[in-house]
Amino acid sequence: MDEVKIKKELNVTEPTEVENRIKELCLQFPQGITDQVIQNDLPHLEPQQRAMAINKLLSLGQLDLLRNSSGLLYRLKDSQISGKMKGSDNQEKLVYQVIEDAGNKGIWSRDIRFKSNLPLTEINKILKNLESKKLIKAVKSVAASKKKVYMLYNLQPDRSVTGGAWYSDQDFESEFVEVLNQQCFKFLQSKAEVARDSKQSPMVQRNSSFASSHEVWKYISELGISKVDLSMDDIETILNTLIFDGKVEMTVIAAKEGTVGSVDGQMKLYRGVNTIIQPTGLVKTPCGLCPVFDDCHEGGEISPSNCVYMNDWLDF
Amino acid sequence: MTAQETRLCGLLLQEHFGDVVEKVGTHLLKNGTQNLRTILHETGTSLNLVKKSLCVLMQHGACVFSPGRKGPGSPTEYQTSADRILRILRYPRYIYTAKTLYGDTGELIVEELLQRGHMTMSSTVKTVADRLTQNMEEGRSIDYSEVSSAFSNLVETHFLQRCPILHGTGAKDSSAAPAAPESATLPSPESFPDCYRVPQIQLFGRGKRQHSGEDGEEQRNAKKPKLDPATHGDEGIYWQVNFERFHLHFRDQAIISAVANKLDQTSSEIVRTMLRMSEVTTAPNASCTKPLSANEIFRSLPSSYNISRPILDQYLTLLVDDPMEFVGKMGESGGGTYVVNLNRALANLARATLESVVQERFGSRSARIFRLLLRKRHLEQKQVEDFAMIPAKEAKDMLYILLSQNLVQLQEVPKTPDFAPSRTFYLYTVNQLPTARMLLQSCYKTVANLIERRLFETKESKRLLEKSQRIEAILASLQASGAEPEQLTEVEEMITAPERQQLEALRLHINKLDSAENQVDETIFLLEAYINSTVRAVSPVKGK
Repeated sequence: MDEVKIKKELNVTEPTEVENRIKELCLQFPQGITDQVIQNDLPHLEPQQRAMAINKLLSLGQLDLLRNSSGLLYRLKDSQISGKMKGSDNQEKLVYQVIEDAGNKGIWSRDIRFKSNLPLTEINKILKNLESKKLIKAVKSVAASKKKVYMLYNLQPDRSVTGGAWYSDQDFESEFVEVLNQQCFKFLQSKAEVARDSKQSPMVQRNSSFASSHEVWKYISELGISKVDLSMDDIETILNTLIFDGKVEMTVIAAKEGTVGSVDGQMKLYRGVNTIIQPTGLVKTPCGLCPVFDDCHEGGEISPSNCVYMNDWLDF
Repeated sequence: MTAQETRLCGLLLQEHFGDVVEKVGTHLLKNGTQNLRTILHETGTSLNLVKKSLCVLMQHGACVFSPGRKGPGSPTEYQTSADRILRILRYPRYIYTAKTLYGDTGELIVEELLQRGHMTMSSTVKTVADRLTQNMEEGRSIDYSEVSSAFSNLVETHFLQRCPILHGTGAKDSSAAPAAPESATLPSPESFPDCYRVPQIQLFGRGKRQHSGEDGEEQRNAKKPKLDPATHGDEGIYWQVNFERFHLHFRDQAIISAVANKLDQTSSEIVRTMLRMSEVTTAPNASCTKPLSANEIFRSLPSSYNISRPILDQYLTLLVDDPMEFVGKMGESGGGTYVVNLNRALANLARATLESVVQERFGSRSARIFRLLLRKRHLEQKQVEDFAMIPAKEAKDMLYILLSQNLVQLQEVPKTPDFAPSRTFYLYTVNQLPTARMLLQSCYKTVANLIERRLFETKESKRLLEKSQRIEAILASLQASGAEPEQLTEVEEMITAPERQQLEALRLHINKLDSAENQVDETIFLLEAYINSTVRAVSPVKGK
């Protein structure tokens, strides 16, 4: 131990040694190190020497300079990428950096222009270049079908970009949603029926007609109707549409921490319910559904006496 | 008073009272309170006819008069009430309810009273007994006392009430109608203490059979003068149908059936028991019933339901827990006290009605959007798409259609005062009350359309109908005179097969239109009840 320390202190003034030491430190703390850390580690180093070493590393592209709330951060650059970036000029690096910062949400080419202050034609060239090197990729966003966003090649696009499980190739799969919607309802309905036939006390009947979102999720996964993996949240969105269809009711109950299907000590329970009224009287008449209801007047072109809908309905 | 209402009122008046009354009635509806001279002048009808029409309207409580507004001595003014005229639409339902509750006797009593506006008890009992006897087998008849007791039952349950007595002169006038000379507002019959007191009447005898044929009629006419002078001790006490009470009954039925649909039969029976218990104690326009303790409910449950106490408690908890909130819990005393949330239930029923209209008219996906907006109040277009899980293009389409039909409203919230579209939130929302009002108007229009169509259908086949009536009359008279069977078939064959077919089709059409009218009236009732209850809740009763 002592030996190491002595050795370090001996060689501390060597510029290459300083650089290596900083790199080592960076490897130790992959999330980045502050100036303070380097200072503590190499207490005898002159600030000027330290600055020189860091500047050299930065210019070589081996270190990244980041800014966070506490100040500046140094981080080691991915050697693989820095290898790939070899032969690229500064502009390319800049664009790459901007895209990298955008993360898996991606960034629009116009926003790259604002951030990098480069002309659009230049950017387009660079983007094409980077794409051909398989450093970045273009993903079509579901929010706007014409809009392409760029992100690093190895990233999985965010849900907001792809639209999650409900989209395939930017198209909303409404049929898929409808099928899931029906299946979930079928499940809840059969559960409610079983509960009703059980001839138990009303409280037990009601409680056994509830199904947690986890149960529904399990049922759907086991059915195997979905090619994509659906999460619990996905199933809950489907169940929500059933609530808006007026077919399902939801309650939240407190659950023990660690119970299957509970989130933050809460569990969402769903159950199929019946509607409170039959279709109302108004819509049983042709007038209730008439598309030209507002234009209908006695003695007019459209009138109850010559109404074609009324004729069909009466002869039905 | 909207154009749709006036149109419907006009059609109803025409159907029930004829053209002249319709003319006077709609004129009064359109122009508000007027005196006799103005009506005379503006309708261009003769004095006699106007007077008679006003009498008819007053007899049915559809018109009130009050002293002129220009101070003492100014001519009396007349005013019709559209609400009362629209009740005509519901007559079949009143009569049917009376039949289910009180049997044939009750049905006839209510029917007579509805048809004649108001009558004394003795004359009602006599007419009803006569009619019942008429329908019985030869040689049997019904006692007046039986009908009287049915009448008293109806009064006791407040389905019938006394007409308010007029102050001053003409209290016993046949044209007497509810009207207060002092104020322009209609006094409610409830404000009279004797409203539901049945007078002692001396009425003995049995129902008389009306003989068919000419001499039978003469016989009756000869008897009449003998009967009339007899006093029964209830002269001047007129009775009318208490529509409010019927409406409360309809409302309760709607709530009970909603509970039965939503939960199960047993829960609905519990709610029925609760409603029956509070029938008399709860004010007609209260927002919820008087609190009832679980013990009381348990005691009042008919034993045939076979519900044990713990089970009842469970059911009550379930009813309270239900998101529809038909039943609410007020406190813990007496094993828990419960109320039926009448207004809440009406609001829920009205909401279900609106949803059902959207569902049937625009499909279940639009209904999903509609329910979503009802639930979440204000949403942006993007949020609607996400929550409803409907592709953006379709969702937009549906939203805009709903918006153009005024079922959904749009609220702009600008970030800057210039209302630039890019800096404005567009929030979609559903306002239940205005939407209900709008639908109510479409209901009025629908009923009016159905009536017009019915009139049209009958007019089209007028010749045929007249012919069939004539032939029936001939057949009847031939039968009476004991004609040969060949003769009868010969007459019968005067209606050809296609004509018979046409008549049959016409009968079907009319039935369909009639039943549709009644169905729409159920929607009208629900919406009206909801609107009235909400308006009452928002603006507290004006000093009554």
